[in-house]
Amino acid sequence: MYRYDAIDKELVADRSAEFREQVTRRLAGEITEDQFKPLRLMNGLYLQLHAYMLRVAIPYGSLNSTQMRKLAWIARTYDKGYGHFTTRTNLQFHWIRLADTPDILDHLASVDMHAIQTSGNCIRNVTADPYAGATAEEVDDPRVWAEAMRQWSTLHPEFSFLPRKFKIAVTAAPKDRTAAKVHDIGLVLKRARDGSLGFEVIVGGGLGRTPHVGPTVREFLPANRLFSYLEAVLRVYNRHGRRDNIYKARIKILVAALGAEEFKRQVEAEWEQIGPSGDLPDSELARIRGAFAMPNLDVAVNRSEIFEQAKAADPAFARFVRNNVKPHKRPGYAIVDISLKAIGETPGDATADQMDVVADLAERFGQDDIRVTHEQNLVLPHVKLDDLPVVFAELQRAGLATPNINLVTDIIACPGLDYCALANARAIPIAQQIAETFRDQERAELVGELKIKISGCINACGHHHVGHIGILGVDKKGEEFYQLTLGGSGAEDAAVGQILGPALPYNRVAEAVDILVDVYLRERQADERFLDTFRRTGVTPFKEAVYATAD
Amino acid sequence: MKALTANRLIDGEVVFWREGQWVERFADAQLFDDDAAAQEAEAHGKNQPTVVIDAYLIDLVDADGIWAPLSYRERIRALGPTNHQHHGKQAEGGEVVEALLHASGAARSSGRVNLIKRK
Repeated sequence: MYRYDAIDKELVADRSAEFREQVTRRLAGEITEDQFKPLRLMNGLYLQLHAYMLRVAIPYGSLNSTQMRKLAWIARTYDKGYGHFTTRTNLQFHWIRLADTPDILDHLASVDMHAIQTSGNCIRNVTADPYAGATAEEVDDPRVWAEAMRQWSTLHPEFSFLPRKFKIAVTAAPKDRTAAKVHDIGLVLKRARDGSLGFEVIVGGGLGRTPHVGPTVREFLPANRLFSYLEAVLRVYNRHGRRDNIYKARIKILVAALGAEEFKRQVEAEWEQIGPSGDLPDSELARIRGAFAMPNLDVAVNRSEIFEQAKAADPAFARFVRNNVKPHKRPGYAIVDISLKAIGETPGDATADQMDVVADLAERFGQDDIRVTHEQNLVLPHVKLDDLPVVFAELQRAGLATPNINLVTDIIACPGLDYCALANARAIPIAQQIAETFRDQERAELVGELKIKISGCINACGHHHVGHIGILGVDKKGEEFYQLTLGGSGAEDAAVGQILGPALPYNRVAEAVDILVDVYLRERQADERFLDTFRRTGVTPFKEAVYATAD
Repeated sequence: MKALTANRLIDGEVVFWREGQWVERFADAQLFDDDAAAQEAEAHGKNQPTVVIDAYLIDLVDADGIWAPLSYRERIRALGPTNHQHHGKQAEGGEVVEALLHASGAARSSGRVNLIKRK
């Protein structure tokens, strides 16, 4: 993992001290709320329904056990013993006092953490593949590039007041676990036939009010030219992005208005001007790369007798392995997904005690490495097969062994109207009802991969547009209603979902999902996923089934 | 019938107006059946920028003999999140909390549009 150097530490400490003074001035009445609000937002502090919410940055979703323990301690000391992992791989505390925030930021700074780039119209925390450095699928380690982007973008003077927020995702695997095509910039690392590295550059994807799957503006950008190219993209956006209308200010609107070709032409003209002087020196890249060297894993054999025997003896362990354990690039190791979607619990929530358990497991069995996924789960990327039965048992004791990764109960949900001041409707109870409906694990596994994503408002923090089944909460004459969309995907086969029909009332949503799943099971051919069946049949059979009974 | 609500600056706590003071429980809120008096209280509330943020009036509805916020958003503010029923003000229980938990009749609160602009 990358460790903060003296400059990083000083920057974070200074920022915390600066915010302490700003809070003091606000409480004394020396600055107004209108003056203070942008300052607190730049430190991740929002005012929500019941309290302030502090959004802590987890750069490219990567943290160590010391950091996780500190988050647990903050949850216990300043919150109600919980944290909420978000679709941008950050962590939100929902019960924060303004007066405590400077102390919390100091505590975060003590473990090289902060809330910078979690709000405001800047380049936000970069998303990277949560399996980075562990999966055999990748052509390079995307964390190297994500960390370089963090250093480049943090407090970047030219890009701190963009027309609107700006989100970048980077992956190096063909299987996209970052939703790259619905980010402002999606970067997909590829290796050319001659062995050289490059990026596919996707610009102008996004969700929210006007969802777009981003077009590819460069099929193969030589990797060493990344930063000058990013600068050119940001510059064109900064110059021409709309500042007159908040709903049209994201880069996706500019790219769609100009057309991908014209946008590319302008970017490349700017890129020419910048030239290679805008790129990262090789020595600096090598320094950063050094921080992500493969951990010193034991030489292990491909087959672990301990693992095989446990799998044969314990069906629950076998089920966990089937759903939550993924192949590692090194023989004898595995990637372990930790589901934060226990049936009946709040998606993405972890208690302080659970955070401590994950920290302990990472330290004892996982090379001190923890990842957060955009699907609101956690990952231990390097676990020896021999240790898996013990890790599973500990997870099970902590309520963290739900074997449902990518299944119908692995639901993304934003905090919705239970917490968020922007929401129109609740998202969490809908997720809980659906999870209860599919509590039977046999049936959930029979259904297979099915991504349900729920947002409580059109801002789409719950990624509903790209859910295989997407659910959007709307306010219909003051009551909670839910608009269902089908056929979306945030992965490499990205697509925006298609509206099923009129919105459904609160108490009909879980039932409707159940009906949709029944239609899928009836219609599916061979090993089609829900998404594949929907793409083949179209919306009609699904629509007919739901609205036949919904009158 | 109306009540005046806001979030307290120092901690973000949901508060309600009562005779010149801010109280934490909806059960203790002053209820206004007179628009002029409600607006006067709102003006006072808005004039306390170091005490509260976003003071606004909410509409109330009769829920089995107890006045409850008309909009579900305001009921959630007055109670706490529905996914953690031991969090927020609902944890204390009591007659008014019970009434709010079972209240229906939903509409946007009048103060909401301005609030969203401010977030």
